[in-house]
Amino acid sequence: MIDLDLVLLNMEAKTSTDVINNLGKLMLNKNYVKDSYINAVIEREKELPTGLNIGNFYVAIPHTDSNHVNKSNIAIATLKSTVEFREMINPEAKINVELVFLLAVKDPKEQVTLLKSLMSVFQNKQLLIKVKNAKDKQEVAELLKNIII
Amino acid sequence: MKKRFKVLAVCGSGTVTSSMVALKLKEALEEEGISISTTEAKPTEALNLVSGGGYDFIINTSPLIAGDYGVPIINAVGFLTGFGEEEFIENIMSVIKDINNK
Repeated sequence: MIDLDLVLLNMEAKTSTDVINNLGKLMLNKNYVKDSYINAVIEREKELPTGLNIGNFYVAIPHTDSNHVNKSNIAIATLKSTVEFREMINPEAKINVELVFLLAVKDPKEQVTLLKSLMSVFQNKQLLIKVKNAKDKQEVAELLKNIII
Repeated sequence: MKKRFKVLAVCGSGTVTSSMVALKLKEALEEEGISISTTEAKPTEALNLVSGGGYDFIINTSPLIAGDYGVPIINAVGFLTGFGEEEFIENIMSVIKDINNK
């Protein structure tokens, strides 16, 4: 079950940095991440971006090294208007992202289930579109009930 | 015929998406009777690790730093997103075939 305190619907943001800041603060408030996390994610996004093209639906999965994380979790934002991110495999390419999953992963070796469940969500375009159009947080939680944190 | 391969999985953090594609590839190749051991790394670590030897190929979700890796490099983003999955597996199988024909 995802944490409803880590979900923001129809976020108004101009840049990827705004998105990471807003979502990162939610993580920080609940002590899932360290003070250093937000800046680390922003810096990493500049150098090695995390935008993904899911069959012409664009999402971003910002994250950073596990030493900035206290406890694994994910924060989710649907965006009121698309925000420009750059693509993971081709950082030159700009994409207009509709949905953002901010990831905090503590120990990937121990979290096979979390990683697999997240990947199965990223691979499901129809599900991502439903999340993007969700009317309330409960609907997001229901749609993403297979994510095992 | 070689059935065990050593794979370097590279992503920006050296953990998250490299672990995802490594896990998924491990399962996909098991069905083909092929087993892999994987190491996850950041782009800055990749060249050193590969120079150390023993790796059969690299899969990556973030761009690698330019250099002479000396082993095949296969873009794994299509495998991560599911859009381009068949092509990725075809590439992997053809790399494995080439290694076995050497």
